[in-house]
Amino acid sequence: MASEAKTASEDVKMDLFEDDDEFEDFEINQEWEDKEEGNEVTQQWEDDWDDDDVNDDFSLQLRREIENSTEKN
Amino acid sequence: MSHLRMGEAHRRITEYLNRFYDGVSSQDGASLRELLSLSSNSNYLLSVADALDTFQDANRLIDNFSDFLGPLFRSLHSLRLNNLLDSYTNFEKAANAFIQEFRNWEWTWALDPLFVIVYQLRVLAERADRELASNGKSPEKLKAAGSFLMKVFGVLAGKGPKRVGALYVTCQLFKIYFKLGTVHLCRSVIRSIETAKIFDFEEFPEGDKVTYMYYTGRLEVFNENFPAADHKLSNALMHCNPCSEANIRMILKYLIPVKLSIGILPNDWLLKKYNLVEYRNVVQALRKGDLRLLRHALQEHEHQLLRSGVYLVLEKLELQVYQRLFKKIYIIQKQRDPTKAHQMKLEVIVKALTWLEMDMDVDEVECIVSILIYKNLVKGYFAHKSKVVVLSKQDPFPKLNGKPVNS
Repeated sequence: MASEAKTASEDVKMDLFEDDDEFEDFEINQEWEDKEEGNEVTQQWEDDWDDDDVNDDFSLQLRREIENSTEKN
Repeated sequence: MSHLRMGEAHRRITEYLNRFYDGVSSQDGASLRELLSLSSNSNYLLSVADALDTFQDANRLIDNFSDFLGPLFRSLHSLRLNNLLDSYTNFEKAANAFIQEFRNWEWTWALDPLFVIVYQLRVLAERADRELASNGKSPEKLKAAGSFLMKVFGVLAGKGPKRVGALYVTCQLFKIYFKLGTVHLCRSVIRSIETAKIFDFEEFPEGDKVTYMYYTGRLEVFNENFPAADHKLSNALMHCNPCSEANIRMILKYLIPVKLSIGILPNDWLLKKYNLVEYRNVVQALRKGDLRLLRHALQEHEHQLLRSGVYLVLEKLELQVYQRLFKKIYIIQKQRDPTKAHQMKLEVIVKALTWLEMDMDVDEVECIVSILIYKNLVKGYFAHKSKVVVLSKQDPFPKLNGKPVNS
């Protein structure tokens, strides 16, 4: 097992039996409508975010920094 | 504790016993649930516990299932007196007697009460351990509950209709192992669940499947097996009860780092709605190529990210942030002079990094770029003499497209 697992388990021991992310028990035999398309939360992802836009503040400042440097050379 | 007349105490205990016997003889598993949920603190059970305090010789009233009901009464009574270690010890005895009976019952009606017993055993063990720890003793009951549940798992996991209950017990075991930090113990139960040819996973109850996918997904995160983690946690997310916001949040807490590591971003709505603010700046850093922001975001939430075990996953996003930064430099150069855009001077990168408070010389930058080329995040080669990276004319910054960075 990777070192992460070790780190995680050491953390747990350090805090004497705590797992912050213990899944809440569903009630026994509890049922809910399982939509074919899933929860709306399954549709909140972007895989095509890597655009060519360089007009945000960060990019504008980046431009100033590197263009200064090319002028010097 | 209220003082009862002996007669009233006697009446309450007899009534409890009658309800229990009726439930068993009519095979009405659901009706036994309330009777066995000791930790629920229901008014009904509190009133029975008070009766047990008054009427000390309750065993005399039990005429059947005494191996089960005797210790169960002692457990309930101890719990009322806040003697948590005794309560657990007696409950485990009762659970053991129940399992002996359960083995002989043919049909699955008793799964309901069995689940309640399994759940109670875990919760009472946690309380007993807290009591032990606060008295300076070694907490060991949750571990004991784990061993006991393995026995229950063994009873269910064989052939036959009772197998449908095996996943519930598995999930309770996961909770114990994660709490104790002994997650390696999950492996043998997982193997048993996943290799069984006699039972289709889909036939398990929905809630158990979601819980199972959540925990096995977390294990895949620890193992850095991101495609498998994505599959399992996405499955948990898709099928989770939409009303259970706390559980959805927990799934996302692990799924988001996994998605980021394969180049997929959550939108801001999701982070806001589930209050996952610790990821907001990480996502921004990826979008912008802002290495400084990534560093600050990790520092700011270091403690909680380490606790949940996703810190190292997020730290590795640095390579993707470098890629994004280099791509921006490339686009800016291209706008200025399209003919020279493919030649990126290492000196220019040094300048950008200096601005981002990363003190690196040309050799160190060359090293970083080599790593990116090796990991297929940049396509190109070095012109060493002129200290330039020559980028491929085709797709110089390949996207991950849902696959992890090459290792």
